[in-house]
Amino acid sequence: MWSKNLDSDRQAIRRYTAWAGRLLAPAYVLGALALYAAFLYAPTERVMGDVQRIFYFHVGSAWNAFLAFLVVFLASIAYLKTGRIKWDQLAVASTEVGVVFTTITLVTGSIWAKPIWFTWWPWGDPRVTTTLVLWLMYVSYLILRSSLPEGDQKYKFCAVLGIVGFINVPIVWMSIRWWRTHHPVVITSSGMNLEARMVHALFISVFAFAALYAALLCLRTSMRLQERLTQEMEVEVMAK
Amino acid sequence: MGGLGLIWTLAEKDLRIELRSRQAFFTTLFFSFLILMVFNFAFDPASPATRKAAPGILWVALIFPGVIQLNRSFQSEREEGTLLGVLLSPMDRGLIFFGKFLANWIFLLVVDLLTLVIFMTVYNFPLSSATLWMLLLILLSSLGFSAVGTLFGAMVSNLRTREVLLPILLFPIVIPVILAAVNGSTEVLLGEKFRFLFQWIKILVAFDVIFLAASYLVFEYVVEES
Repeated sequence: MWSKNLDSDRQAIRRYTAWAGRLLAPAYVLGALALYAAFLYAPTERVMGDVQRIFYFHVGSAWNAFLAFLVVFLASIAYLKTGRIKWDQLAVASTEVGVVFTTITLVTGSIWAKPIWFTWWPWGDPRVTTTLVLWLMYVSYLILRSSLPEGDQKYKFCAVLGIVGFINVPIVWMSIRWWRTHHPVVITSSGMNLEARMVHALFISVFAFAALYAALLCLRTSMRLQERLTQEMEVEVMAK
Repeated sequence: MGGLGLIWTLAEKDLRIELRSRQAFFTTLFFSFLILMVFNFAFDPASPATRKAAPGILWVALIFPGVIQLNRSFQSEREEGTLLGVLLSPMDRGLIFFGKFLANWIFLLVVDLLTLVIFMTVYNFPLSSATLWMLLLILLSSLGFSAVGTLFGAMVSNLRTREVLLPILLFPIVIPVILAAVNGSTEVLLGEKFRFLFQWIKILVAFDVIFLAASYLVFEYVVEES
């Protein structure tokens, strides 16, 4: 049953490897630009000072983490519809990068929150808590993945979790926002007025993280597909 | 037999097995009771702070033991080899989901109601008309919890690590249910004005509807024998 898709798998590997190669250079250039923009080009924020500069990386990783989980959702649906392994491999690669980006978001957010909000963990902010729940859900996806034996069932279960988890995001967001309205909210984000150069730095950072996400996604997907192909070829050789 | 008849037949089978063996029932109820007691020893039951936290304690005592039942629901089917029989029966896979879900829901409702009675006794909450709202909260949250739990329970049922894997999968997803249930019951039990209760009920209803539909749709992929 596997060998039927072998050729299409080979094509997919070639495509993903090629794209990874094409995307790595822009990711490096944009990354260097983002560092320059965040630390030198953008002006120092008047009230928060230099610590505000972490915001560029924080937002860049956060937006792309959400993008990554959207890709997991779509690829999971595509896998259940078509049964093609490459969609599953794309979904798990996207989950991995998404979890790394969410971790970056939470850590940078925490570093920023300490001097600005005087707490390492601002439970008062619904975005922080929603991101934490996202992190929990997709880490549990990876744990499920590691505890299932190889085979179609594993891919199906992971696809189900990738879909169910993503559907949950709006409900989590609403419930956490209402939860926090019970308590005094001392934190608002509306106070932050961005100067033009800050907006530039922000967008360069967002694009840098997007390029990095795309490059890592293609690399991980092609790597996983190659691993599978090697296994399948071993099985075929053994059979002969 | 119509769809509803088929669902009920399957649910009745599970409930009858449970009624005869009473394996999970006492274990789950006793676990709930133990959690209530452990919190009673961990926090001073006479202090006002514990009273404020009491609704949270109740929901820990309802959610954690619920996992036992959800784990058992498919595990026993796999062990006895009856799952294949259920899958071979001429009914839609989605209806099988509703049958298993209904049995889990009814089971959890009975355990939850008994736990509520124990809770209100040991934490000295008077019985009042507000208690009726508690029933509604329990009804709605156990519905969403069993919908997702039935889906995930089927997924982990033939894994060695299922006992720990089910809560790991289930708890992040049901965080909205826990938030809504705890905050809703805080308003009900502590006699506050019902400022947000209806918002919480809305969250629960939305969660229930969305996850019943989603679980029904993806269930066939979870039980397929490959």
